Amino acid sequence: MRYSPEGMMPFGPVHPSLKEPEYFKLILEGEKIVQVIPRIGYVHRGIERAAQERTWTKNIYLFERICGICSFHHSLSYTEGVESLYPFEVPARAKYIRVVVAELERIHSHLLWLGLVGHWAGFDTLFMWIWKDREHVLDLEEEITGNRVHKSYSAFGGVRKDLPDGIAQKVRAELGYIRKRAEYYRGLVQSEETLSVRTKGVGRISQDTARRLSPVGPLLRCTGIGRDVRAEDPYAAYDEVIPNVQTSTGGDIASLLVLRIDEVLDSCRMVEEALEKMPAGPFKASFPRVAPAGESTYHVEAPRGELFYFVKSGGGSTPERVKVRTPTMANLLTATEMLRGHTLADVPVVLTGMDPCFGCMDRVAVVDVDRAKEWSVSGEELRSYGIEYYRGRRS
Amino acid sequence: MSSEELAALGAALGATVTEERKSTVISVPPSKVVEACRGVSSLPGLYHLSTITGVDLGDDIALLYHFWRERRFVQVRTTVPKAAPRLQSISGVLPAAVLYEAEIQDLLGVGFEGNPYAGKKLLLPDSYPPDAPPPLRREADPEKIRRIMELE
Repeated sequence: MRYSPEGMMPFGPVHPSLKEPEYFKLILEGEKIVQVIPRIGYVHRGIERAAQERTWTKNIYLFERICGICSFHHSLSYTEGVESLYPFEVPARAKYIRVVVAELERIHSHLLWLGLVGHWAGFDTLFMWIWKDREHVLDLEEEITGNRVHKSYSAFGGVRKDLPDGIAQKVRAELGYIRKRAEYYRGLVQSEETLSVRTKGVGRISQDTARRLSPVGPLLRCTGIGRDVRAEDPYAAYDEVIPNVQTSTGGDIASLLVLRIDEVLDSCRMVEEALEKMPAGPFKASFPRVAPAGESTYHVEAPRGELFYFVKSGGGSTPERVKVRTPTMANLLTATEMLRGHTLADVPVVLTGMDPCFGCMDRVAVVDVDRAKEWSVSGEELRSYGIEYYRGRRS
Repeated sequence: MSSEELAALGAALGATVTEERKSTVISVPPSKVVEACRGVSSLPGLYHLSTITGVDLGDDIALLYHFWRERRFVQVRTTVPKAAPRLQSISGVLPAAVLYEAEIQDLLGVGFEGNPYAGKKLLLPDSYPPDAPPPLRREADPEKIRRIMELE
């Protein structure tokens, strides 16, 4: 292979107005992808280091800002991880409220993803419908927490404020609407030709690959392995509000579509169940501001899969070390496997299919093995290319 | 979680096995990490490597390999001296470790022999000064590094 990975990075710092940049060097033989080399870190902000210089409480808001989609799950994993160092209990009501907000976040995150797959596959109507429906969930989140995106709702010992009066009824009404829409989309994604052509058999992974590369979340469950932190290692009130772990055996993007819609439907049920079972009582206990010395290994099931936090406290006013492993990091290697053997036209849909914290295709370098040639294409060019490629194949 | 099988694995490795809050910790010297990780990951249900954490302890760097099954983690723990931070990569046994090791290599300067990213960068910019300490080490001064990189 006339290819050397050194010195072939053709671009400089990434512009902040672009979507989250990740860099995949694709090695091609004609149209076929033979190898994928990821290079990440363009938006690495050194948050783990910054956390060592901030107080325990300030870090809740810092970690929340790692992700704008699953922000509550970051603060949840951090606060529950730190809480496990204290000898105190979190009130039951707070645990239920955490389930409600976390499941609402899962619904909006899955809907966001579904819309994006529609966009990259050239089905923009789906994108616009779904993002409109997602607004209903964001409105609910705003009403409960005060914010749509960075909710700033977590606190050591519970949540920052109680549920507003009469919210249960409103949530039920809105979820009735979401459920109806989700059921409609479930039929649509299986029957609509544009999506079928672009997703069936695309990005297939086997159970063996999944066991070897340790992906997490829907990417793992679509191979038939039913692992879910909420069910296997319950946190918050998940030992009372039990998820029906969804699996699929397709292992391709088409089965991921159905799987994630099934998870949306299950999350709707869980939010309603949590509101029904929610006990009265305090929504927050008073925890001292400095965590006791010790180490905590913790994880939660974020919308994209297992979100891991390791916290080390020396008993001081700041943590000695916090390690975060996001689901996309765990899924990155699997995504490179999913691409192998496919054509360049499939890249946008497959990379979106793994649900990175946004379409990561703004910059992709392409190396053609036969012609020993390298060039860069933007995400938008690649999207148009994929749509044209499949249009040509269909006619 | 059956602690007997982990105790038996620990005994076979000559390692100490301790129970912590949510983790069973198997402490091994760096030379036995590959063997320990192979042993843990071949136990039923423990194939999932959650991640690897690197912790700067001052003179040493601790490496914690987190495996997960049901309500417990199994942690393979080792320390390497900061003066010579090198050990064998486990990516031959567990390919999932490739990126986790590469991240620690970038941020804490630990070398993993046999990792495909050995000597390359995954996270850090190519312009990161070669004479500056890796950014997550205690002696690294973010202000100083920023000045060297002429970002200010």
